[in-house]
Amino acid sequence: MKTIHLVIEDKPIIAPEGINIFQASLDNGIYIPGLCYHPKLSQFGGCRLCMVEVTERRTGHRFACAHPVSEGMIVKVNTPKVIRYRKSVMEYLLVHHELSCPICDKAGECSLQDITHELNQSPSRFKAVRMDYPMVRDNPVLELNRNRCILCGRCVSTCKEIEGIAAIDFQNRGIKTVIGTAFDRPLECSFCGGCVAVCPTGAWQDRTLGFKGRSWEFSKVPTICPYCSVGCTIILNTKMESVRRVTSDDYLGINEGNLCIKGRFGHEFIHSPERIKTPLIRKNGELYPTSWDEAIEYVAKRFQQIKNEHGGTAIGGIGSEKCTNEDNYLFQKFCRSVLGTDNIDNMANIKSPALNGLIYESVIHGMTSASLKEIEHANTLFFIGADMTEAHPVAGSMARKAIRLNNANLIIANVRGVQFNSIARNDIRLKYALGSQIILINALIKVIIDEKLVDLEKVETSTNNFDKLRSLIDKFDREEASKITGVTQDAIRNAALLLTKPGNCYIICGKDIEENPLAEDAIRALMNLCALLNPAYRGDAGSGKVSLFFSRSHNNSQGVNDVGVVPGFLPGYVNINDASNKEKIEKSWGVKFPDTILKKDAENVIDLALNSKLKALYIMGENLVVNYPNGKKIKEACKKIDFIVVQDTFLTETAQLADVVLPAATFAEKEGTFTNMGMTVQRINKAVKPVGDAKPDWQIICSLAQKMGHSCSYVSPKEILTEIETISPMYAGINYDRLKRKEFHWASSVSNKNKSTRYTFSMVKPRSSEIRKNKDFPFVLLTGASLNHQGTFSRHSKSLMSVAPECFVEINKKDAQVLQINNGDRVAIESDQNKLTLKAKVTSKLPERVVFVSEDYEWVPVNILRDRVHTSVKIYKETV
Amino acid sequence: MEKLKNPDDLKKYRKSLESKHRPDIVRIFICTTGCRALGADEVCKAFKSEIEKQSLKDKVEIVDTGCQGLCARAPVLTIEPMGIFYGRVTETDVPEIISRTILKGEIIERLCYAEAGKKTPYIRDIPFYGKQKKIVLRNCGMVDPKSINEYILRDGYAAISKALSGMTPDDVVNEIKNSGLRGRGGAGFPTGNKWEFVKKAVGDVKYLVCNGDEGDPGAFMDRAVLEGDPHSVIEGMLVGAYAIGSKKGIVYVRAEYPIAVEHLNIAIQQAKSLGLLGENILGTSFSFDLEIKMGAGAFVCGEETALIASIEGKRGMPRPRPPFPATSGLWGKPTNINNVETFANVPIIILKGSEFYKAIGTDTSKGTKIFALAGNVKNTGLVEVPMGTTLREIVFDIGGGIPGRKKFKAAQMGGPSGGCVPAQHLDLPIDYETVKEVGAIMGSGGLIVMDDSTSMVDIARYFMEFCQEESCGKCVPCRIGTKRMLDILTRITKGQGKKEDIDLLKELAEVTKSASLCGLGQTAANPVLSTIRYYLSEYEELINKKDTQSLPQESPATQP
Repeated sequence: MKTIHLVIEDKPIIAPEGINIFQASLDNGIYIPGLCYHPKLSQFGGCRLCMVEVTERRTGHRFACAHPVSEGMIVKVNTPKVIRYRKSVMEYLLVHHELSCPICDKAGECSLQDITHELNQSPSRFKAVRMDYPMVRDNPVLELNRNRCILCGRCVSTCKEIEGIAAIDFQNRGIKTVIGTAFDRPLECSFCGGCVAVCPTGAWQDRTLGFKGRSWEFSKVPTICPYCSVGCTIILNTKMESVRRVTSDDYLGINEGNLCIKGRFGHEFIHSPERIKTPLIRKNGELYPTSWDEAIEYVAKRFQQIKNEHGGTAIGGIGSEKCTNEDNYLFQKFCRSVLGTDNIDNMANIKSPALNGLIYESVIHGMTSASLKEIEHANTLFFIGADMTEAHPVAGSMARKAIRLNNANLIIANVRGVQFNSIARNDIRLKYALGSQIILINALIKVIIDEKLVDLEKVETSTNNFDKLRSLIDKFDREEASKITGVTQDAIRNAALLLTKPGNCYIICGKDIEENPLAEDAIRALMNLCALLNPAYRGDAGSGKVSLFFSRSHNNSQGVNDVGVVPGFLPGYVNINDASNKEKIEKSWGVKFPDTILKKDAENVIDLALNSKLKALYIMGENLVVNYPNGKKIKEACKKIDFIVVQDTFLTETAQLADVVLPAATFAEKEGTFTNMGMTVQRINKAVKPVGDAKPDWQIICSLAQKMGHSCSYVSPKEILTEIETISPMYAGINYDRLKRKEFHWASSVSNKNKSTRYTFSMVKPRSSEIRKNKDFPFVLLTGASLNHQGTFSRHSKSLMSVAPECFVEINKKDAQVLQINNGDRVAIESDQNKLTLKAKVTSKLPERVVFVSEDYEWVPVNILRDRVHTSVKIYKETV
Repeated sequence: MEKLKNPDDLKKYRKSLESKHRPDIVRIFICTTGCRALGADEVCKAFKSEIEKQSLKDKVEIVDTGCQGLCARAPVLTIEPMGIFYGRVTETDVPEIISRTILKGEIIERLCYAEAGKKTPYIRDIPFYGKQKKIVLRNCGMVDPKSINEYILRDGYAAISKALSGMTPDDVVNEIKNSGLRGRGGAGFPTGNKWEFVKKAVGDVKYLVCNGDEGDPGAFMDRAVLEGDPHSVIEGMLVGAYAIGSKKGIVYVRAEYPIAVEHLNIAIQQAKSLGLLGENILGTSFSFDLEIKMGAGAFVCGEETALIASIEGKRGMPRPRPPFPATSGLWGKPTNINNVETFANVPIIILKGSEFYKAIGTDTSKGTKIFALAGNVKNTGLVEVPMGTTLREIVFDIGGGIPGRKKFKAAQMGGPSGGCVPAQHLDLPIDYETVKEVGAIMGSGGLIVMDDSTSMVDIARYFMEFCQEESCGKCVPCRIGTKRMLDILTRITKGQGKKEDIDLLKELAEVTKSASLCGLGQTAANPVLSTIRYYLSEYEELINKKDTQSLPQESPATQP
């Protein structure tokens, strides 16, 4: 990029061509007052405060936010004339501003206050004219006070550009101009709170704060959001050991200050009165509070007893997608070295058992090499089976940034017509028939090969098995594919053309693909596609990047697998049956694994329990009963286990079945690291003391291990992470202290080490996944993520509950018409397993004969209906 | 209609029209656009039924035309070939006109134009017309705007034909540059230079936009051209599109101009059916498509970046420049925006050559300018004069002076962005530079004449109120600065002014001018500044004579 030399306030500066004076000053620590300019938004130029004196060919006054830097330019920020203008503009603003600073939550962090102060604003020459707009409080999390609004337009741009919603805009003209919604209807948006974050005054407010503290009283602790797997940095604002609100920082973490509703407003669970505050022990069928000593002693005694009587393998362990890497690492270490069992697992692995291996393979081949943040540099984005808006909203914002700034192309393939608002010039939606994902991917591959959209000779020489793939694909018929998938040949061809365009191509593989029974085939087909799209084979050799992202559900769904809470795999995906690796770990942990641990068992923990092979189950941070995808079986399984220990923050459905419940600390009350779906390890920081007697999970595990006679004396997560680094090469170079400043991306260090690996195409048979047809149960039940809720935490966050109190069953318009179901009707969904009653939402997004229920409303146990991924159900209107 | 496949086809077509044209017939040209408000439609209908009744179809033809200029006499009509001009015609006059004037050749005196008691039946004798030079309005009032044939008969589409058959796009740009044509929207930027920028800009798609969002109070030049001669604008756009390499044009018209929209739509359809719009125009590789976008009545949408936003479906709000529309305009593509009147000038320049055009006007401002003459003047209406004509000629010779026994006080030029030209500058030859020197602007051509009973503070207040209401609200100085000025002006007109108000007004004006984002704010203070400059005493008088008893005691604001 060309650079420009200029002088701002006598300071010589080198800036990239094309940026404006305001940004160049910001980058170089020179302050220019401004209320409307925001680096992450498009230029507005409304507040007129950033006037500066600019000498290019001649000297004149320019507005820093709207004037690009040029070679040899001299900028003066504070000439007397400029200051006079600035003061006048501020004076105008203050005539109408309500100046309610004493009762404004923004006081202390208000740009309007700051600039008034800094300009040493003198008394106004005008009589104050207060506006008298009523406060807009039509939703539980955001409020708008238009009397404080200075019409900088930041909220309007944020809503449009970052969230893609455009729920608000300017209304009226002249002095009557205000911000508002269309026809003044209640705010209809995703409640990301981006408007609050960018508002320079107190016009937009976070209602979860609501006078619970002044900005200057808060300690601000940056940490990682505990909800989805994007891993946004959030700032916990605490006062007197309690979290009062969440803010964001544009310059910290991967999310540029963007958050979703859960991240910004879903913090109230931390101090929910329903938190478990003491250990609980079941006596005479009831759970009673007890002391840590008693609880630990009891658990240790029972574990020891079962181990002695039935062997360690009679004890199972379920790790947590929500706990830190350190918690999970210690958990598997405790299970393997203290209890002597490899019957451990986590929900992510149970739902998609092939995924870990495939992800690791993809990383090795350099196909999963980009970090999530790099999405904003994409030139082509392909979401397949992924619902970004609901599942990973902030990654969606990154995608929108790529679309806005790089003109990125967008392809969305999904069974459902998922919502993703963008301004992409090329926006292709492939709504494929349920189960036909592999055919679709192969059809794309076919177009690329048939039309030689990449250099096939190069592919041939640098990969294995390409000839076999070609002959397989030769037999594949495009017309047939179009018929099966229900996607036109033109659309498939256009998508293939976009995918092979130069630049960065990022493919995001969603849950629909990963949790499908044919997940392995579909992902292998995607990997074949990625291999073909390698920039080396395209016109722009070397300049672009292709990367495959895998969706994960929770904040640490990736980490729990990385650190080895997976049967048969030690931390870093090391096969436990590999003798040298086993020895290395044994040596490092100072234990000897019993031979039974190596016995390869096809059954997962729950199946073991069902077959009465499990006597005890240790569950950390997982509401198994609700989240196990195969609903009916889980309760049976739990009944067959003699002793269940649940370590969690709330008394979940699972904890209610436990014999002992151990109170765990939430993310806000402990330290450690999370790994997001882009393999980036980020540090979380302790903001408040744990409530009651709750303790961080790793400490609880330490106490248990010690009680069972093992030395386990970690003093901090730092020590644990250091140990993880020494035993798993994947983490080589990670440094707990450095994580405070910079995240660690393990995928790039692994793929760098394996650069020379030659890709071998897999022969994936193009077939559809079988959808069981059933006359009595004519519908297929699909489940998926929800923007407003996820797991136990959101359920206990008051504001999220009031924004989204109801889980709906979504049903296609035509089906609804036949069944005479209207929006809001109570509808029964029945499978051969069970029945659930929910309110209906009629939509055109779904294909016919398919219903959709989100699985993120924890109190709606949709999984009890399921016995497979595509469960057959029937639906009917519930009559009172 | 069959499409014209080459320039010769067009010539042949014109020939065939000429052969059908009957010079012996009496034609009555009735303005049915502007005059419609005063009953022109009824007059028209009455004529038609009367002609039917008397079976005069072979002898008399009624032509619905656009504005004939002398709006003060509306509804107006011209009878050719006699050249008789009648005004204030009503339905009841129609039988008499037919029987006396058409059939017997008699003059009906009461319908004639009269000045100082002297009746002037013939249009050539009316001073209102005599001093004008009609270039842009060459067809306005002379043709039926709903007929492409009448336009073609009067050398219509000959300019684009000439450009396509013998000129390169560079030739066209140079011809326009050489002609000295400047933007008629108000700022007077050289059109040729603008075209050159867009022509040189890199982009796969380029847009050509015609700005018909005429919004100045009292201005109706663009309206008259669009209503009365829409083909001249289309042809001008064709030439522009050919010069800059655009395939797509948009005419942005106010929705409040339904007749303009109607006539333009008809014109576009007709041009399309003759192959003068669309693919391969006149058989060449040049293609150009045109569509209409209606504005929703925001004054600020006349500002080009706001206009672009409006076309894109966004709220019409200006944005800072750079980037300029020439490099990144509509949908981020190079975009050329010209005013209606500018485009209407283009065919003549191409057809008659830049030298012809250059010969008209002053050193810096070439050609003619249309003014919408309004206010305290006898002959309100639409006038087209060469640049360099003096204000006196316009107001007194053409406009017939001030009605009643009042005296000329000032002329407000350039609408809310302009200023007042006082009596001492009546002999100023009007062009872009001279008008600016005296504190007004040429603007789009609104010219409001005020007599000596007008309060200039009131005028300033009126325009300030207009600007305040039309401010898009985006930038602080325009949104709040104009409101502050308006409040002060209102106070002064109510007799509640203070001594320091004039200095405060000046200061507010300066800040609003320098710190506003777009032209609306930057010029909003002009009426205030120009009235303070020439009529300070009026301000002082109002402030001094205030009745202190009736004044509410205002406490000075203590807040910062």
